[in-house]
Amino acid sequence: MNLTLKDKMSLARGLAWFAALFSLIVSVMLIANYLQLKSVDPLESPALQSLVERLHDNPNDEVLKENIRSLDLLIRKAYFTSQWQIRTGAYLLIFGLLLFVLAVRYLKSLRPGLEEMESIEKDAFLDKQLARKWLVYSGMGLFILALGAGFLSNNVLDSYEPAVVAETQSPSDVEVIEVLPVAEKPAEVAVENTSPEDLNTKEQAASEDIQKTEPAAEKVDEPKTEPVKAPAKANAAIPSQEQWRANYPFFRGPQADGIAFKANTPEQFDIASGNGVLWQVKIPKHGYNSPIVWNDKLFVSGADNEAREVYCYQASTGELLWQAKADQIPGSPAKLPKVTEDTGLAAPTMATNGAAVFALFGTGDLLALDFSGKRLWAKNLGVPDNHYGHSSSLIIYKDKLIIQYDTNRGAKVMALATADGSSQWETERDARISWASPVLAEVNGKMQVVLTGEPLVAGYDPETGEELWKMDVMMGEVGPSVGYADGVVYAANEYATLAAIKLGETAELIWEDSEYLPEVASPLAVDGFLIIATSYGVVACYDAKDGTKYWEQEYGDGIYASPVYADGKVYVMDMGGNLHVIKLGKEFQLVAESSLGEKSVCSPVFANGKMYLRGFDQLYCIGK
Amino acid sequence: MNRISKILFTLTALLLSLPAWAQQRFPKPEFETGYLQPITLQAAPRALFLEYLDVFMLIATLAIATWFVVKKRSRRGVMWTSVFALLYFGFFREGCICAIGSIQNITLALFDPAYVLPFTALAFFVIPLVVTLFYGRTFCAGVCPLGAIQDLVAFRPIEIPKWLQKVLGMIPYLYLALAVLYAATKSEFLICRYDPFVGLFRFDAEFQMLLLGGLFLLVGIFVARPYCRFFCPYGVLLGWMSAFSTKHMKITPSNCIQCKLCANSCPFGAIDEPVEEQGSRRSNVQRLMTYLIFIPLWIGIGGLAGSMLHVPLAKFNKTVYLAEQLVAHPELKQDTEHIDARAFMQSGKSMDQLVTEAKEIRSQFYWGGWILGGFMGLVVGLTLLKLASHRTRNDYEPDKTNCLSCGRCMDYCPVKK
Repeated sequence: MNLTLKDKMSLARGLAWFAALFSLIVSVMLIANYLQLKSVDPLESPALQSLVERLHDNPNDEVLKENIRSLDLLIRKAYFTSQWQIRTGAYLLIFGLLLFVLAVRYLKSLRPGLEEMESIEKDAFLDKQLARKWLVYSGMGLFILALGAGFLSNNVLDSYEPAVVAETQSPSDVEVIEVLPVAEKPAEVAVENTSPEDLNTKEQAASEDIQKTEPAAEKVDEPKTEPVKAPAKANAAIPSQEQWRANYPFFRGPQADGIAFKANTPEQFDIASGNGVLWQVKIPKHGYNSPIVWNDKLFVSGADNEAREVYCYQASTGELLWQAKADQIPGSPAKLPKVTEDTGLAAPTMATNGAAVFALFGTGDLLALDFSGKRLWAKNLGVPDNHYGHSSSLIIYKDKLIIQYDTNRGAKVMALATADGSSQWETERDARISWASPVLAEVNGKMQVVLTGEPLVAGYDPETGEELWKMDVMMGEVGPSVGYADGVVYAANEYATLAAIKLGETAELIWEDSEYLPEVASPLAVDGFLIIATSYGVVACYDAKDGTKYWEQEYGDGIYASPVYADGKVYVMDMGGNLHVIKLGKEFQLVAESSLGEKSVCSPVFANGKMYLRGFDQLYCIGK
Repeated sequence: MNRISKILFTLTALLLSLPAWAQQRFPKPEFETGYLQPITLQAAPRALFLEYLDVFMLIATLAIATWFVVKKRSRRGVMWTSVFALLYFGFFREGCICAIGSIQNITLALFDPAYVLPFTALAFFVIPLVVTLFYGRTFCAGVCPLGAIQDLVAFRPIEIPKWLQKVLGMIPYLYLALAVLYAATKSEFLICRYDPFVGLFRFDAEFQMLLLGGLFLLVGIFVARPYCRFFCPYGVLLGWMSAFSTKHMKITPSNCIQCKLCANSCPFGAIDEPVEEQGSRRSNVQRLMTYLIFIPLWIGIGGLAGSMLHVPLAKFNKTVYLAEQLVAHPELKQDTEHIDARAFMQSGKSMDQLVTEAKEIRSQFYWGGWILGGFMGLVVGLTLLKLASHRTRNDYEPDKTNCLSCGRCMDYCPVKK
């Protein structure tokens, strides 16, 4: 077929017009599709929303659930069909445009004659002169701009100060008053070799010594019910198991495992009307530690940039009996370590053995006070290199104060004598920084201290610090402590795993799950159940033996406070300050819900037939 | 027709960009129990023989384009070769691998001993440079898909004043220096990230990229090949090679008859017209010497400015950026939505480590900034020196550095033998 030039040009012109019209039509269709998709947002479907709202009222309506699923599927199909249409349309559009361009280009090439550009007047000499001038201007402009940008740029990294500022820093600018232990010899020797009379005499003498060298604890009110006695030795008597369990001496209860060992615990309260609220007081300084209780004394700590303090309240009345500052401690940093607001300097929960209370702060300052607020001993453990702030709580085993000290500069667990703070043992851990706390677990009749961190979950002999077993199952920034029941350790962390480790001759991983993982709240294992509370507000209950999930319940607020078991119920405090009391069982059964009216991240505490709650600002006693 | 085509093209390009807004993410369905998340799969690497095929196609297309330019002197042949290259290297190979991006592979291989340089990247970097050293920039004329797509839409090119060409001509040097700096510091493949046309080739452009590509094409209707002339970093290297090419295309195959037809044919302003030296010889030499003496000063000022710029420049490095974010806003460490912060927290690294690492990278940017700035100062100084020199020229000749060997001038030249 012989085509003339005119035919070729007509063909090219026709093709160009066809391609242009085709592209235009496709574009219009694409825009229509886009506008349709924009105006009818599948996620905002009123029908779907109305069904979801109905489901909130009838959460067990299976027919409704099925309808929602069907509609959801339909909407998704419609959405992805639109996506396919857009993509196919884009292909067609680009094809049309390419055809148009090629046709026009072919048409131009067929045209006889030359197409000249619109010319501009040129003078080689003057053009070069002008070009030199503009080049100098633009070159200088570019460099001045760069210099200016350099001067104005904010050098954020240089303002960074490492979290630890005092490990190597001399506290020379702090007036340090050396605090001597109550006795030069280890306290337990004194206990063994002296009669009670001698002991009392020495205690009094020691007390006088302390009074000479340190300021007395700041008294708020002279306690009326109990006269202030001379400070007793911190481990004058090791409490029996019954005594431990009758009180609430540690974070998460008498064994630090979330089990309160209490009956007839309060379930509900109403802050607005005061119903069920026996007392509430404002705590002078903020802190994220939970209260501990021994008989009629309740202890919490608080801190800000000015001071780190311990508060003692009368548990029955809420009266502030005394408060003591953690100051003038040798080795304490002159400059406070950087901590985040949601951890603070008073995150670790205190511990008590009935004779003394122990408080650890984010500065690494460890303080031992007697029940009248007199300082027994104090020391700095070395400022923890911790980018959020140290939060691992204290526990006591017999006469040893056990501290998990996992920092960016090494991880270790140590035991100090409760009597004088002297080191009893110290075990290096092959682990990274963590925020979890030690848990006491009775395994085959022997007590162990179980710790979790990255990557280790491990058990230690509390008498010697010997590592008894370990398992590399954990990762990330481990905040939750372990749960323990019936010879099985439950360790979990967000983005990592929930691992059940059976302890016997060797540690054995019996099951794992990753559906719901806690970020801060510790697992609670009790009576064959395992409770997990997540930072996104889900509480899930599992069969502790095999990990079968029984139920899950979602709340509007996330959960940082570790759940606690008492009297057949699980007490869960969410970050909105709502306390959810759930009956422990295979089916979810809500017993009661109450609200503090303020945020809370502290676990509920049970003692003396009452429940003690700590909000961001207030301390509450709930009971009848 | 021209006016209609212009309007139609503009309209359709704008319409094309609008549907891009429709790209939105549908959240993952909340499955009930029993659903197993599929295992993440990684795409298999391209088969080895296909990689060799790419190299073969490069050599073949380059040979054909060079033959059309140097031997056949056929503008139409060059154009259709470039259309083929656009289809193969552009739409079929989706713009990757490409010679322009290979600069970064080469740089990374030089600075990171752990990086294994792919053979194809090396071939795509070296072969066009070698061919250009002998025959001029025939790669730009007939092989580069980025050049081809722009060349096709250059319907109504206008001539740009020399001073503007020179000022805009600094950008490719800056882009080259930045691309090398970011690749050397293992921060970013800048050229690939901001490739304006790769999104079109792959049909998956984000709106901003589509807009950028569309703008280049729209501007390209009037300012021929804007990316090639005022952005392409590989064009800088090709220009250096081409300046020494001995078998570069000639406008006229024999003697120029001074008909001036070619003068207005070049849309790239790459034809040097006949010129005689103006002004006194003495003052011209003095000017030349002055600009020569100023070159070290330009290098010094440029180096200082570049080094001062290291803090903002380093922000584009993801480690530095993350460190700065976390130092300025420590609360981001707990932000589960912040994927980089989450990954960092899961890595178990401490803030001290992150900040130290970021400071080391920034130190590299400091010294890199000196080199980058010094290089830009040298470029400004040498360009000024060139503009201060005068050479008598009797015929119309292609400016070897900037000539893209498209063959338009040959088409216009009435002397065919």
